[in-house]
Parts: sequence; structure tokens; C-alpha cells
Amino acid sequence: MLNSSPSTPTNLKALEKMMGRASHAIPPAWPLASSVAVNPFLGQTGENLATAGARLARVAGVSITMPRNWYLHKIAARDISDEDLAEAWASAPIHLRPANVAALKAAAARDTQKPVALPTIADLAAEVSGIDWPRLIAERFGAWAAGYFDEGQALWAAPRGLSAYAAWRAVATHDLTPEIAGLDGFALHVSEAPDSALIATARIVDRLGVKYRALETYFHQMLMTLGGWAQFARYKLWQAELAGGSDETVKDFLAIRLIWEEALFIRYHAEIADKWASICASHISLVEPTADLVIDTILQEAAERAAQRMLAEILAMHSSPKSEVRSVMQAAFCIDVRSEVFRRSLESVNPNIQTIGFAGFFGLTTSHQRFASDVEELRLPVLLNPALKSRSGGPELESKGQSLRVRARAKRAWGRFKLAAVSSFAFVEATGPIYVGKLVSDALGLYSLDTPNDPMPRLNATLDLAAQTKTAESILRAMSLTSGFARLVLLAGHGANVVNNPHANALHCGACGGYSGEVNARLLAALLNDPNVKAGLTKNGIDIPADTLFLAGLHDTTTDHVTLYTEDHPSATHQGDIAKAKAWLATAGKIARTERALRLPRAAHERLVSKRSRDWAETRPEWALAGCKAFSAAPRSRTSGKSLEGRAFLHDYDWKQDRDFGVLELILTAPVVVASWISLQYYGSTVAPEVFGGGNKLLHNVTGGIGVVEGNGGTLRAGLPWQSVHDGERLMHEPLRLSVCIEASREAMTEILSRHENVRALFDNKWLHLFALDHEGRMAWRYKGDLQWEAMDHFEAEAQSPKTKAAV
Amino acid sequence: MPSYLLPLLAPLPLLFGAAAGFLNTGCRSIYMSKIAEASAFVSFFIAFLAAVELVFTGPSVSPIIGSYGLGLSARLDAVSVIMLLLVTFIGWVVVRYAGTYLDGEARQGQFTGWLCLTLASVLLLVTAGNVFLLVIAWIATSFFLHQLLLFYPNRVAAQRAARKKFVTARLGDAALIVAAVLLFAAFDTSDIGTMLLAARAGLGGGLAVGAAGFLAIAAVLKSAQFPTHGWLTEVMETPTPVSALLHAGVINAGGFLLIRFADVMLLAPGILAALVLIGGFTALFGSLVMLTQPAVKTSLAWSTVAQMGFMIFECGLALFPLALLHIVAHSLYKAHSFLASGGAVERVAAICRPGPVAIPKARAVGRAFLSALVIYVLVGWGFSFEHKSPQAIALGAILIFGVAYMLAQGFADAAPLALTRRTAIYAVATSVSYFALQSAATWITDDTLPATPVPGPLEWGLITLAVISFGLVAIVQAMFPLWAYHPAAAGLRVHLSNGLYANAVFDRLVGGWSNKASS
Repeated sequence: MLNSSPSTPTNLKALEKMMGRASHAIPPAWPLASSVAVNPFLGQTGENLATAGARLARVAGVSITMPRNWYLHKIAARDISDEDLAEAWASAPIHLRPANVAALKAAAARDTQKPVALPTIADLAAEVSGIDWPRLIAERFGAWAAGYFDEGQALWAAPRGLSAYAAWRAVATHDLTPEIAGLDGFALHVSEAPDSALIATARIVDRLGVKYRALETYFHQMLMTLGGWAQFARYKLWQAELAGGSDETVKDFLAIRLIWEEALFIRYHAEIADKWASICASHISLVEPTADLVIDTILQEAAERAAQRMLAEILAMHSSPKSEVRSVMQAAFCIDVRSEVFRRSLESVNPNIQTIGFAGFFGLTTSHQRFASDVEELRLPVLLNPALKSRSGGPELESKGQSLRVRARAKRAWGRFKLAAVSSFAFVEATGPIYVGKLVSDALGLYSLDTPNDPMPRLNATLDLAAQTKTAESILRAMSLTSGFARLVLLAGHGANVVNNPHANALHCGACGGYSGEVNARLLAALLNDPNVKAGLTKNGIDIPADTLFLAGLHDTTTDHVTLYTEDHPSATHQGDIAKAKAWLATAGKIARTERALRLPRAAHERLVSKRSRDWAETRPEWALAGCKAFSAAPRSRTSGKSLEGRAFLHDYDWKQDRDFGVLELILTAPVVVASWISLQYYGSTVAPEVFGGGNKLLHNVTGGIGVVEGNGGTLRAGLPWQSVHDGERLMHEPLRLSVCIEASREAMTEILSRHENVRALFDNKWLHLFALDHEGRMAWRYKGDLQWEAMDHFEAEAQSPKTKAAV
Repeated sequence: MPSYLLPLLAPLPLLFGAAAGFLNTGCRSIYMSKIAEASAFVSFFIAFLAAVELVFTGPSVSPIIGSYGLGLSARLDAVSVIMLLLVTFIGWVVVRYAGTYLDGEARQGQFTGWLCLTLASVLLLVTAGNVFLLVIAWIATSFFLHQLLLFYPNRVAAQRAARKKFVTARLGDAALIVAAVLLFAAFDTSDIGTMLLAARAGLGGGLAVGAAGFLAIAAVLKSAQFPTHGWLTEVMETPTPVSALLHAGVINAGGFLLIRFADVMLLAPGILAALVLIGGFTALFGSLVMLTQPAVKTSLAWSTVAQMGFMIFECGLALFPLALLHIVAHSLYKAHSFLASGGAVERVAAICRPGPVAIPKARAVGRAFLSALVIYVLVGWGFSFEHKSPQAIALGAILIFGVAYMLAQGFADAAPLALTRRTAIYAVATSVSYFALQSAATWITDDTLPATPVPGPLEWGLITLAVISFGLVAIVQAMFPLWAYHPAAAGLRVHLSNGLYANAVFDRLVGGWSNKASS
């Protein structure tokens, strides 16, 4: 069978390229301990929704829009107007769209078939043998991968230091399970496979007769069958590429999965060879959207246009201009949609409080060590490399740190005693009854949750004063905060406070790498309070008054309680300001909880919201970013006093201060991209939960400390759990692609997009919608794609009579 | 009110909870959850009253409500009351948890209904005064649990696990029915108390020995002993509260059966010996497999296999009070572990923070074992060591091997002195607590459970075998990092992590991987 042709260097190079493409077709999945939202269509942003839909239908049998009746319902309820449909229809490619809007509406009433993926060899083998090979492969692969990636759950870990391919072969040559299940000689087959994953792949591709042009979707499909495991491997690749290197894990996974295909192909060759040949031919055919996929896309866009129409009405409402008196307090929050509710509440408590929206890592990309910890946590957006190092607690706390470490190590020793062979029996008989107390206390929530309160973090002494000043300056300019400082400036990071929740870190700050945001806020406060830095800033034109105190805080998004780190910067002169701030924040928290309680199930009263954070059985402690649909980069005065229902990212941006549009470029390439990842993660987990969702929380089984599987094992589940987007009765996240509204000149934005191909692709292929706000903050221009804009002159008429205007 | 009524009353409130569940069709009913939780709590309160009653009036048996030895009757004694308290307590925690956890599930009412019925039947089982009631409650428990295991009926993996559970459970049912018939034939009564008295007097003959054999088979099947453990490690295919209930409540039925019929079991030393071997092997096997498991719930399930093995092993050594203690302690621990399993991400993340683990070398392990032995003798003396049976002393030795592992971690060269001190304190506290609990268990069940017989040659052989094998595994475990990553151990790890394929064979036999059943 072995043919020399596939292994020639040119062929191998081409093959490796295809393996690389497949690796990049799937999204990365971060480990749960530092989990961040990821755009599940990251590999497809170069094409539009309909084409990506065709591709994912072929490789994963998944639809990436809602079922038709979801749109139909919205059309019937007039949420989607005829005009929305008409506009969406008009913007679709002419040769693929239905004849007219009436045909589109008729199509909305027609249910479509769930797409079916092209069968794999495992699927064909299952059909002819009656043995569920795809599931068995998923189970076996999962059993191995869970051990390979285990971060410390098993006391007897799998051997380390091998490549994925070598590690798998070492296991698969011993594992008897496939043979017991009916695949004779599998271990031998594995042991005879080439030592190189690339050569093995070449051999298999040849043996299976897969043509080069069929490889793209076939390889993509192979990785899709591995679900979250492949995505976790892709995360390793992401990290390696970010650091300028590369990683072979995804390619190894591909080879492993192909070895299964090969073994089954040999085993069932006679029965499946013909079918397989025709499937290979299907893989060669171009990925093109069907008419139905185009209709789905138009309906999706109509739903988005409907939401944009509402947003335009809100933004067009009159807003009060910024007051000229000095604010009683300034409070900067993360752009996270959860801050919107709290900022609005806080401003309602005292109109002279100014709130600011900025990415929650506050511009400090730090690799941080907690107090008495060796672990470096990357508290920064995952798109960036760390530029700083920091740690909590200095040399003066050395002995306290040591005793904390000993306590942690003793606890760890106890944990090992609990799990180890033989000692686990002693553990149970000696300490089992103690669990009566633990059960009662956990069942009734008889404990309080501590907010993160390490000793003050500090930057490692690598930045000199000039660099510190420069950092401070660029952060303040990026925040558009260069004048009008209040006596008290609060920098509030955010984090959730929940128990017994594998996805707890997904509720933390995404801009801080899935950790809570207090460390970055405390570091920035220290930087800005430094008198030398302040003096330097004055020289550069940012005059911070001597009586201004920067204070870090942590906004607990589950309970809307804000912790202030007052001890970091004791100030006798600000006692009164701080006391007042605490009272305002407490009142604002109550208002915010009251608003949020309306959306949360079983929270009839604001008081019940806080209790949920301590309930170990609660699967919906908060809604996190569910519902997010808009992003605004504009002065706060454009949105203040208007309820955006906790569904908008608000970034403060004043183009008048942005001399060379450097800040605009930063916003479009960093916060907007992060927001797109969040928005599309919610989108993917809602429209295709079986592939891009995290599964059912009731069945979650935490694996290796890095992820969850449903039930016994099998495929790792990345993405948001179903409980995070659905309350049991209805979807809590409307799957809408994000509308980005920026108050800046179109020319500047066009220019920036033309220089950033990847960002431009997001807008050109409508993974995001872009709008330019006019001088009154109204949505005036829509980005059409291809660096073109179109005027939106209709919204004023719309506001009077939204449903009467005739279709285009 | 006659005292025996209390145990009979305990399951009743749960029937209300079940009714509230089944009648509810919506996916979000706070009232239904509250009624269910309240009913579970009332059951717990009744159990508490029964315990008070027992303290003041002593053990009692109700007359049978029925005829021909068939019908409702309850036993109120230390064993039934302890089990009653345990199951109702865990039941309350689990029902409360499920009320929040399943909020928003379309079939939450059904779930609550089956959950309450399962609990009620376990209560009936542990208080049963006659063997026929016991058999019925036993089968009912398994039937209701089956509904919970298939709460997501379309999950293929759930079907696969449930099928294996079903096969194992029906075999166990058959064994128990045979045992019940043999017991009735041997003692000419269905009343368990009467049987036990007769057995204690040495009556019963060959039929009773046969009954002991079938009781042992039923217990082994129910408590997931090797090689029939496969189903237990796979039933995470249903919401977490079911796992908690299963691992903390239902799985104990096997051990409970042996303890309940302790006097009958003592008539058959050969069968006890077999239990020592099966239980001891399963304990070591399960705890080694557990070391290799990277998923938290799977690891907990293997831990249950091991712990049940240890409990059966204790029954085999005729240390029934200790087996009962083990059931109670393990249930509380395991219920909590399952319900809190969502915290595994944080726990794993915390492991790495304080820096690398100090690995003890052979010398440190040696010192640890010697120190543990000293602790054993000193603490044991405090708890009148010399009056204990050789079996109990051997068991203590096995447990002290475990304590040695704790010490070894603190004795490692790289461990700071403060850590050594802390682990030593833990070791002493664990030993004291262990002996105190052991004495308490023996004292509480003094009237109810038979004393451990004086060992004969067979028993001495088993004791020696057990101490040596547990000791060896303990030493191997303590020196673990020194050998576990040797290439020669890699194959062993693979085979162990797959549970020596007993489950794969089971799957093959029952067509577990067939795709026909799922479609």
C-alpha cells in the first residue's frame, strides 16, 4: 500500500500547510482557570456568515443561525419590520437572494432541515458494523487527552514532556479497549505508524485516497470531531504564536484522529470503500452557501437591523451636556456591559459623579504573582503579550508570605492524603463526620465570601520614572481623561464572586485574561498617585491637581458591591470624600441589583441577588454579558441618562483630544476585537450550542482542572454553558452580531481599517456592524464594507412612525 | 404513640414531596421545590425523634402490618436509626440542592418526584423489620434510581451506563430474593430480629449458610465490587444531585445488608473470607485506579469503588461496627464532594501556587512509617488497645499506613520545618479522631451488632495477607513520584487508568457500544 509519492518533500510541505490551515480553522479554548471569551468563528472571519454556514454544515453538521421560526416570530410580533427585511434583502448578494421581500417572508415561514455533516470513515464504519465508532473514538481520545492536559487533578499524572503524538502512541499501544470493542490489532496498528505525525498523515491521506483539494474540509472536520480538545490544542498554538513560536499539538491531534480513520478503513474496507470515494469527491467541491443559507443570513441581518433601529432611536434622544463644574467623583469602570447598569445607577445617585468606560485591564499588561504564589497569571487581554511583571506583597511581608505558603502546602499535603491509595481510607474513617458541618454550612450558605484582598500589588522595579510617566500618560490619553480631575478618582476593576462554579473565571474580567480586575486597577492607582509621575505628567500637559487621589476598587458583578482599596493610599484629607463615595456606591449597588433582579430567575427582590453568589447549587448567579449587542466609543454625554439595559459596551472616547487618531486605532484593534470575541461567543453558544456551547451545567464534570466534559467523558466542551444563555423558559441572549458605534470621522476609520486587514475582515464580512456617529451622537453612517459608507438618513422619520415607512 | 411507628413514618413526608413533584409540570416552580425540601426535612426530623426514642426506650420491633410474614414492619435499633439519620440528612441536603440546581429544567417536577421516591424507598429499606419488606424496598430503590439515571433519556452514554446498572441490579435482586427465601426457610420467620437472635444462638444450619452466600453476592453486586463496578464509574450522565444521592445513599445498601444480617454472616466464615478477599482487592484496585483519573467526578466514583471495597473488607473481618462507621463517614464525605465538585477548577489552580511539592526519599518514608507506628501505639494505648480484637488492631495498622503517607510528605528533605510540624499535628489529630470514632461506633452498636469472633487460622491468614498487601501499597504510594514516571510504569498506568478493562469487557457483553440501541 505504501506509496513513495506522498512523502516527497514538496508534497509534505503542501500537506503541512493544509494541516496548518485546519489548525487555524478552529478557535482556541482557554483553560477554565483563566477563561476568556473566544470568537468561535475565528477561523472563518475571512468569509461571510452564509459561507461559514456552508462550511460548518459540511464539517460539523451545524447551523449557525437561529431556526426559522425564531425570525418568523419576530416578524409576526413586528420586532423585525418590513423595512428591516427589505434593507437586509437589499444588502444581500443579488444572485443568491430570494426574488423579493415577499419571497423572503414566505421562506421565513418554511422550516429548514438540520444540516448533516459529510460522513467520516468512522461514521461509515458505524453504519456497517453497528458499533458506535465515532462515540468510542471520542471517548478514547477524551480519556487520553484529559490525562495529557491534566493540570493536577490526578495524583498519578500521565508522563510529561512528550509531544501529543508520541504521548498518544505510548498510551494507544498499551490500551486494549479498542480491541475489546472490536477493532482487532489497533494497538499494533498504532505501534507500526510512522514516528512523525506529518509522515503518518501523508501515508494515511494516500491510503484513504483523499485528494489534495479535499483536505481542507476533511482535516477541518477531523478536528471538529475532537471538539474542545482540538480547541484547547489550538490555544497552545495561539500562545506559542503570540510569543513568536509555534506548536504542533493540533497537527498531532489531526494525525491521531486520522490513524483511527485509517484503522477503520482497513477493517471495513470492502463495505465502505465506494461510499468513501464519493464523500472524498464531495470534500473537493467548493464551499458555497445554499439559497437557504443566504435566506438565513438575510433574516439574521434583518433582526440586527431591527435592533440597530432601536439603538439609533435611543442614541438620537436628547442628552444633557456634560456639566462644567468639577465632578464630586470620577469613577472609571471596565467597558463590560455589566458596568453600564452600575454606571447609570451611580450617576443617578448624584448627577455630579462622572463615570468613565475603559478596558478593565487599565492599559497595564501585567504578568502577576499573587501573594505567596509562584504562579504567573497573565492579567491582560489575550491578544497581547505581557509587558510588565508585578507581585502582591513586598519584602517587608516575607515572613507572612512564608507562613501562608506553609499553610497552603500543608493543605495540599492534606489533599493528597485524602486522595492517595490506602491513606484515603484513613482519611474517611477519621474525618468523614466533619462533613456534617460542611454540608450544613454549604447547604444554607452560612459563610461569607471574601473579596480578593492580597497585599498591595506592585510592579517589579524594571520601569524607570520616564517609562512610568510615559505609561501613565498613554493610559490617561487612551481614557480621554486629561483634564477636569475630581478630588477622588475611582478606578474600578470587576470580578464575579461565586462558589462551586467551574465557569467562575468566565464571569471575571475578559480584558484581565479571565481574572478579576482589582490587581490592574490597584497598580494604575499607585502609578497615578506617585508624585514624581504626577510631576512628569504635568510637564507633558496633563495637569493632575494636588488634591486628586486615585483609588482602586473592585466591582463585584454578582452582587454589585464595590470594594475600595483605601489602605493602599491612606489619605487623611480624603476621609470625607471616601465616606461619601462609599455611600454613593452602596446606593448605586442597590439600584443596580433592583434592575438586575428583574432578569434573574427566582430573584423577586434585590436582597436575593447577593445571596445567589453564595449558593453552591446556583447555575445562574448572574447573566454576565448575556444580551450584549452594542459597542459605543464616544463621550459619556452621548449615552448618559439613557438606559442601554446592560447590553452595551461603553468606551469613553473624545476624538477632539485624539490628535493623530492613535487612540481610535487602539480602540478599533483592541477593545472592539475583544468585544467581537465576546459577542460572537454568545452568538455561537446560542445558535449552535451543540458545537460551540459549553453544554449542560447539570452534567459538568471538571476535567484536568482545565475544562468540562458532559457526564463520563468524551469531548471537552468549550464555550458558554446552556444555562448561561437560557433561563429555562427563554433565551437570555438574543444572538445578534455586535453593532459598533464610534464618534469619529469616517475618513479616519476607513484609513485605520485599510491598514488592519483582520479588523477590516470582521466588518466587511459582517461579523460586526460599524456605524459612525455624527456631531450630536446620532448613528449617521453605516459601514457598507469595502471601505464604503452609506448615510442613514431615515432614523428621525423612524422615530415618529417606526412601522409605516415603505420598503425600499 | 408506639415507638416503632416513628421509623415507619419517616418515609411518609417524602411521598408528599414526590406528589408535589409529579403534579408539577412547569419548569420553574418555587413552591414545588420548597414543598419537596420541607418534606425531606420533616423526614429528617422524624429520624431525629426516632433517635431520641431509641435512647430512652431502647430497641424495639413493630408488629407486622400484614399477614403471613408479609407486610410493613419496622425495626428500631442502633443500625436502623443511624442509617435513618444519615439518609434523611443527606436526603434533605440533596433535595434542597436539586431545588435550585434544576431550576429551569423542563422535567424538574419528575426529577423531584423520583428523587423523593428513591429516598423514601431507601428509608424503608434501612428500617425494614422483615425480609420481604426489605426485598421490596431494595428492588424499589433500584427501580426509582433507574428513572433518575435516565433523566436525560436521549443521552447515549446514560443509556449505556443505565443498561449495565440494570443488568447488575437484576442479578443482585435475584440473589437477594434467593437469600430471603433461604432465610425464611432456615428460620421459619420473616422477622429479621428473630432471625438474628436465632443465628446468634448458632441455629439456621446449612440453609442459613446458603443465605449468607446469597446475601454476600447481593452486597457485592450492589456495592460495585470488582469486577461488577463498571456501571458505577459511568453514571455521571445525570445531574449532580443524583450522583451525590447514589454515592452517599444508595450504594451503601450492600454494606447495610451485611451489617443488618451480621449474625447470619458470622455463621459462614468461608463467605466472610471471600468478602475479605473481594473487598480488599477492590479497595486497593479502586484506590490505585483513582490515582490516574483526571476528571473530578470520575475520580470520586473510583474513590467510591475503593471505599465500598474497604467497607466490605471490614464486614469480611467481622468488624461490623467499623463498617457502619465507614458507611456514615464515607457518605457524608462523598455527598459533599459530589455537590461541591464544581470547585475543582479553583482547587486544581490552588495546587500549583505554593510552589513544587517536596518529594520524600526512601529514608524519609522509612522514618514516616516508624513515627506512624509510634503514634499508633501511643494513641492506641489511650483507647485501651489491649482490649481490641486482632482484626481491629490489624485494621488500625492499615489506617496508620495511611497516616504515614501524611507524615512522609512533611518529612521530605525539601519540606520546611513548619510544614513538618503541621503535617505531624495533622497525623496525630487524624489518629486520635480515628480511634475516638472507632470506640464510639463500637459503643453505640454494642447491643445490636455481634462482637468480632476470635480469629482462627483462616482469619489469621487473611489478616496477615491484608496487612502485608495494604502495607506494600502504602509504601509504594509514599515513594510514588520516585517510580511512577519510570517508562516501565507507563503501561501499568494505562491499564490501571482503564480499570483493567473489566468495564470494556462488560460493555462488549451487553453491547454497550452498539449504535442500534441509541437510535
